Amino acid sequence: MERMNAIAKTILAEAKKLGADYAQCTVSESEKKEFNVDGGQFSLMRTLFNRNIVITVLKEQRKGTVQINRFDEDSVKAAVADAVAASDSGMADPAWEFARGPVDESFEEGAPECDTDRLFMRTKELLETIREKHPKILMEQMITEHDAARTVFMSTNDVCYRTRSGCYSFGLMYSAHEGEKSSSFYGSDVTLKTLDKPVIECALIERELTAVEQQLDPMQLEGKFIGPAVLAPMALAEIVIETVMGSFAGDMSLIDGTSIWKDRLGQEVADPAFSLAFEPFSEDVVIGERYTGEGYPAENYDLIRNGKLTSFALSQYGANKTGGRRAGNQSGNMMIAPGKKTLEQLIGEIERGILVMRFSGGQPAPSGEFSGVAKNSFLIENGKIAGALSETMISGCVPEMLKQIRGISSDVMKDGNVSLPYIAFEGITISGK
Amino acid sequence: MLQDLLKEQKALFAPGVHTELRGQNNRNRRVILLSGDVVANVRSDVSGVSARVYRNGVWGFSSMAEYTKEAAATVLKAATENAEFMDRHAGNGKPTFPPIAGRAPFEMEMFSEPGQKVYVDFAREIDAYVAAHCPKLTSRKVIATEDSMEKLLKVSDGMDAHILSPRSYIYVFLSAETPAGAPVELFKSFGGSGTFDVNFTDPSALQNGIDRLYEQLMQKREGVYADAGEKTVILGGMMTGMLSHEAVGHTVEADLVLGGSVAAHNLNKRVASDLVTLTDFAHDAFGEVCPLPVFVDDEGTEAKDVTLIRDGILTGYMNSRESAQHFGMQPGGNARAWMFSDEPLIRMRNTAVHPGSDKLADMISSIDDGYYLIESGNGQADTTGEFMFGVTMGYEIKGGKLGKALLDTTISGVAFDMLKTVDMVGDEIVWCSSGFCGKKQPMPVGMGGPALRCKVKIGGR
Repeated sequence: MERMNAIAKTILAEAKKLGADYAQCTVSESEKKEFNVDGGQFSLMRTLFNRNIVITVLKEQRKGTVQINRFDEDSVKAAVADAVAASDSGMADPAWEFARGPVDESFEEGAPECDTDRLFMRTKELLETIREKHPKILMEQMITEHDAARTVFMSTNDVCYRTRSGCYSFGLMYSAHEGEKSSSFYGSDVTLKTLDKPVIECALIERELTAVEQQLDPMQLEGKFIGPAVLAPMALAEIVIETVMGSFAGDMSLIDGTSIWKDRLGQEVADPAFSLAFEPFSEDVVIGERYTGEGYPAENYDLIRNGKLTSFALSQYGANKTGGRRAGNQSGNMMIAPGKKTLEQLIGEIERGILVMRFSGGQPAPSGEFSGVAKNSFLIENGKIAGALSETMISGCVPEMLKQIRGISSDVMKDGNVSLPYIAFEGITISGK
Repeated sequence: MLQDLLKEQKALFAPGVHTELRGQNNRNRRVILLSGDVVANVRSDVSGVSARVYRNGVWGFSSMAEYTKEAAATVLKAATENAEFMDRHAGNGKPTFPPIAGRAPFEMEMFSEPGQKVYVDFAREIDAYVAAHCPKLTSRKVIATEDSMEKLLKVSDGMDAHILSPRSYIYVFLSAETPAGAPVELFKSFGGSGTFDVNFTDPSALQNGIDRLYEQLMQKREGVYADAGEKTVILGGMMTGMLSHEAVGHTVEADLVLGGSVAAHNLNKRVASDLVTLTDFAHDAFGEVCPLPVFVDDEGTEAKDVTLIRDGILTGYMNSRESAQHFGMQPGGNARAWMFSDEPLIRMRNTAVHPGSDKLADMISSIDDGYYLIESGNGQADTTGEFMFGVTMGYEIKGGKLGKALLDTTISGVAFDMLKTVDMVGDEIVWCSSGFCGKKQPMPVGMGGPALRCKVKIGGR
């Protein structure tokens, strides 16, 4: 950490010397240990030693950013000069603003030390358990890893954060097979602080493996109908959250004025049962953001509380451009408040609809309209799962959906980064052949 | 430019063990103008060295963010230890790879290094043109970018190489509103292989493309929703390229075949109409240089074209040396890595359906009720061959004539079913190379094809 501190100080001093009004840098060292399984077989072990420096300078309100991964003095000084030259070539924008100190904080997050043998043991155990309990599953790829990092953030505004962090991650990509029959592929992921229990018990991995095994004989839906769709956590994130953050509540759509929510702050944009927060300090998050890219200390915030839009996801720059207020953090640690009914009860109330585990669709349109393929999905009939579906498209409009929520499950998927329930929405167009 | 610090390190390679040592630099330049403001002005240079060692059917890999002889020795040692760990716990006793031809070192010419001002100034000129000539916009975005790779490769068996892969683009995004106030957007990319200063010398060269994009956006403002269901459509060349890459290409990457893709059961079987031939081109296609030429891959294999579908029959897979040995095929140079810290994976290069003999006008006039689909925002496909593409620009076809523009929609189908419905193939190929293919790592790829008449499922409102 001492060496990174010294490099950070050199960067700031050099930037000032070259005429920068403001400079900030992030200096980090990281190490990754990773095991790969391909086609159901162990294939690769990787050890990566990485470094990274990101320098941002402001000169007469013109901003320049440079990234390098070398720590030697010549490279560092050249990078600072490059950042200043980049800012010289830019255009002044009074909206750039960064945190002011004094701030000097240190954090330790997650599991900074790797237990390599235990990581391998849990990986092998997971592979063997899946072979035994889910024999139809073929593991196309499984990547298990430990990432450790030490980071120093420092700015000329007397702001300094030092972080030591680490976590274990398991990423599974798989499909079910029987003879020439095959399901769609599906991905399960989890981030963990400890390896104290079998990984198959974490997040929704066991439930998802079981569901994919039931997708070997999908039926073709004839015609189309408008009905309810239960979105599983991953599909919920892909359809609803991606649209909300990409098209309605983020910097870009608000700065360029295309957000249809730009004048809706404080108003009802969703059913009162719906609340969406970003909580890097939640105990369900393994490594949470502790400061933003602009140097402000992170804090939890609600984007939507009881259906009302309570905040945008603006950076300080975005806030200055739009006359808005900076959000508490810039993390992706989404937390949607669970409901009171189980998934089974939600499904039990649906006469005819669809359960969608994954969505394959186009990029969210600025209007919030979407259409795409309901992957790994099931037809719901008379309150029960009637069978897996193939080649079924769904379409709808996110702002309308948010106001037509039928129910939110008490079951939630906690994967170490987010906490998301299943949500049943009305008014989805579901079409087959 | 990377100095050759790795030559002597080949002496550290263990005899009889397949070993790769790669020094690499990735540079990225990015300027974003959002409605005239510079919201991003970024330069990135990331370099280092990595080693990969194959032992008894398993790999060890290691990398360091440092390009020195000492770092090379360190990663060779760590990669060897990782291979030994894997062999001890999970080795399967597979033999090393059969030798490959082409041992001559491969060298390319160095590329230039334009300063950040070149990107900013060019982007500002484009932005000024858009601001002056596209009055009905609600917002505009111009991105000037370059992402270039330089690799120095030493292998125990194959071609040592010094590889340079520059590419640069201008992206123009235009947004407007429908009469009902709903936002609509279109974008277009300009550029391709080559550094920014070589590809972009004259801003006026982009003006026709921007004018056409604005014209299409104005049509899209007045656009209609597609009618959901299965329809006969003409896929434009860009859409065919997306199909070639996403819906077919991925399923015939040998690692995904081993992971259970639909192609595992279809080799030497009919998967398309006999009008369809599909090739993953290495560096030249139809008498021209490909959008992103590849001459040697990161395993030291000389890059050659790989025919995937010939006259409708699935004829091959794209391979690494390991998968080629497994399937008894020849490796064609598809194993490529994105950063110094990435291991080579099986990746496409320039994947395209071959052009046929039909004229686009005849193809459109042959359809009574359908769609002409031109531009795609993104695409995804399943290992089953089930695909989905976003359609950002298209038109109705009514009575053999183009009708109203379409609002955003998606198409979907199953590749090996849908390709059997192809009954007309256009005579002009269109290439695209501005995106990244996402697998475990991103990778620049080229994709292309002619217009195809076929049946697909289209999403409506």
